[in-house]
Amino acid sequence: MSLSHYIYLATILFSIGAVTVLLRRNAIIVFMGVELMLNATNLAFVTFARVHGTLDGQVIALFVMVVAAAEVVVGLAIIMAIFRARRSASVDSANLMKL
Amino acid sequence: MTGTGEAVGFWILGTLMVVAALGLVFVRKAVHAALCMAFVMINLGVLYVMEQAEFLGIVQIFVYTGAVMMLFLFVLMLVGIDSSDSIVETIKGQRVAGYVLGLGLAVVMFLALGSITLPATKGLEAVNNPADGGGNISGVAFLVFGKYVWAFELTSALLITAAIGAMVLAHRQRLTEKLSQREWSQRRVRENTYVAGLPAPGVYARHNAVDTPALLPDGTPSELSVSRVLVSRDQVATPITFHAAEQAIEAEIEDGSAR
Amino acid sequence: MIPALGAQYLGAQLPGVDLVPATFNYAALSPILVVLGVATVGVLVEAFVPLRSRYAAQVGLTLAGLVAAFLLLVLLAVNHQTATAGLKVLGGAVLGSVIIDGPALFLQGTILVFAILGVLTMAERLGGVGADAFTPMGSATPGSGQEALALRAGSMTSEVFPLTLFAVAGMMLFPSAGDLLTMFISLEVLSLPLYLLTGLARRRRLISQEASLKYFLLGAFSSAFFLFGTALLYGYSGSVYLPDIAAAIPQGGSELNGLLVPGVFLVAVGLLFKVGAVPFHSWIPDVYQGAPTPVTGFMAAATKLAAFGAILRVVYVGIESARWQWSPAIAVVAILTMVVGAVLSVTQTDVKRLLAYSSIAHAGFILVGVLAFDRTGVSGVMFYLVSYGLTTIAAFAIVGLVRADGAEATHLSQWAGLGRRHPWTAGTFAFLLLAFAGIPLTSGFTAKFAVFEPALRSGATGTIMVVVGLLASAVTVFVYVRIIVLMYFTDSQNDAVAVVTPSVMTTIAITFGAAMTLVLGVWPTELLQLSASASQFLR
Repeated sequence: MSLSHYIYLATILFSIGAVTVLLRRNAIIVFMGVELMLNATNLAFVTFARVHGTLDGQVIALFVMVVAAAEVVVGLAIIMAIFRARRSASVDSANLMKL
Repeated sequence: MTGTGEAVGFWILGTLMVVAALGLVFVRKAVHAALCMAFVMINLGVLYVMEQAEFLGIVQIFVYTGAVMMLFLFVLMLVGIDSSDSIVETIKGQRVAGYVLGLGLAVVMFLALGSITLPATKGLEAVNNPADGGGNISGVAFLVFGKYVWAFELTSALLITAAIGAMVLAHRQRLTEKLSQREWSQRRVRENTYVAGLPAPGVYARHNAVDTPALLPDGTPSELSVSRVLVSRDQVATPITFHAAEQAIEAEIEDGSAR
Repeated sequence: MIPALGAQYLGAQLPGVDLVPATFNYAALSPILVVLGVATVGVLVEAFVPLRSRYAAQVGLTLAGLVAAFLLLVLLAVNHQTATAGLKVLGGAVLGSVIIDGPALFLQGTILVFAILGVLTMAERLGGVGADAFTPMGSATPGSGQEALALRAGSMTSEVFPLTLFAVAGMMLFPSAGDLLTMFISLEVLSLPLYLLTGLARRRRLISQEASLKYFLLGAFSSAFFLFGTALLYGYSGSVYLPDIAAAIPQGGSELNGLLVPGVFLVAVGLLFKVGAVPFHSWIPDVYQGAPTPVTGFMAAATKLAAFGAILRVVYVGIESARWQWSPAIAVVAILTMVVGAVLSVTQTDVKRLLAYSSIAHAGFILVGVLAFDRTGVSGVMFYLVSYGLTTIAAFAIVGLVRADGAEATHLSQWAGLGRRHPWTAGTFAFLLLAFAGIPLTSGFTAKFAVFEPALRSGATGTIMVVVGLLASAVTVFVYVRIIVLMYFTDSQNDAVAVVTPSVMTTIAITFGAAMTLVLGVWPTELLQLSASASQFLR
């Protein structure tokens, strides 16, 4: 088995994540699709680090995790705000944009 | 090239991961999707360890699966565990277009990546096992606090932003005094509404019935007895079945005593 | 030239085996550090300053910080000019995470000016307690009693000011990032606050929140593409530093092209999304419409500038030598962007959406300049970004002032006859629209000339793009003239629509934007020279 198999796996996971984003309507699942894409990217970074024999890729993957964590907080806060607004009887529910 | 053990692990875990990831696309309920996602993430952590990234593997399981995915689950619980996807297409043909785009992306990437020959793997033995015995963690730390220290410091801006964002969108400052129990009861008496309090939800022997409305004397369910949240989520059980069962038992008893 | 920050590879040492401390050039980083520092102080102000003095404290602090950063930057740039005289180009030994070179200084300065103008418009109160454009309480459900209560209690989301500062810091770093990791993180630093700001509008909050969600999901989606592209380029060259990638391209054999080409395209997707190029533009109209109007103005000007700055750096420092493999596709994107932006703006009935489609078309025009591949192209693009940004901030500030029953009157029909009742406002807006159209004597004309001229010289593709660009411009002229006709030559029975009198802050922003639109149209030489002298990237 060569290391390129890891890259193929990363590509498959990345594509599945992208399809999730394109197909699902539930904002939380869409967001999980994005997370899957970031995770797939991390796998690629870790694998390339091994190919090149440096730890840079691992460090980058670590930073990606930090960024993803911050992104999750903001994203889930926005989703919660929208949920609260929608569940209560809202005033200007006409003329909403399509998501 | 890698050892046999790693190859076996890769093929087993890789297959499982792809199957679980596909769950994200096909599973109806958001909670199931979240569980699929957590499974993928744990396995990724194992793959990282296999790829000589011990520190990252542990962080992946602790931080990603342990914190991030659990945050997802928390929000899912808040939003309503039953929130499943609508399959209504807002844009016609969007589903097909999504599949085509996604598959197209995968095919193009595969064609491109299939043509590459990776250079000979250098491996991480030299950097992971230096003479001073620092290992993977020291190696990563040297880079984080050396070459990539600016990126490291920059993430602090990101974390502050995230904290403010969560506060702005989710934290509700209390603007009025909180009423004490005494004040509530005084208010109820003053306004003469629900002086005895709201009716409690119906409690039936065969059901843990916070979500089951109490029955009024005429047999109709009382809307007041269940939480508004459950009503808006459509998670209120109908008491009719229990009611019917109760009537059947009563009829039986009456039959018995008449006999 | 100053690599603000770098780590040196020391010959035999394996990177990662020993701690190689990074060197900081604090002077070169000082404007960014000031902005970040003031943002952090702003968070503390939020916690400790009582509600009644919070607005004044936040606005004062924010503006003071931005002005201080701008002055520092000017000092730095002046010194930089003198230092460049005896410059020896540094070898490949020093790798900077942040590169403060000519384009970086120019773009950072412009972002700070945009930010000052943007904060001036965001701080507009129109007689209320807090900023008029933002909801009194972001967590209160739209239309609920809680919201009314918050309004009566005089609360406000003054957190928008520190958030804006964080976004500004991210924008300043984005075009000066020397490696793709720093670029990715600054992309997030600039995006996260903008996602939040988008969702905090005072009126029509459901639309605002939806815009925020849409912006967030699509933004995160596109940054994932950027990141995967980064991973592939890291696999290709073994480094995320742009000079390393540039050095690897001529040496790399064809067996790794399968990493290079997809990597470049995926990185491009992430960057083109931020500028709103077709087919990655779908967020622009909705977000521009839903966001609070001053935020829209700031975002349209500054995000576009920062993202184009990053595109310039990636293209000119990193991947130029592989350009035959990717530039045709980007040229197609540029043509599509111009055509789609111009054609769809014809059918719009909402002023904010119309300006959004116009911004898409402008992104196309700027891309034409990017693809010229020489220094005049770089300086043309930078000039265009300055002039477009100043005009845009002023235009959106005016849109925010036209009100009906307290809410913004953004439907075009409501603008009918505005020229009769409010000649000054309508006149200024008409002038700004002419600048968008690229009529001579406005900055828009000079800017279009500055990007089209290098493109014409660059070859056949450039010529085709310029022709399409001119046709698209003609279409947009029609759109803008239609609005002007509507404002001046259409009678309206609708007296409810009126222009509210802004405070001195918004007036300054509008006046400055409009005046610069005129100045850059009539005497553009100074700025053209400045952008030309600042157009050399440090490789």
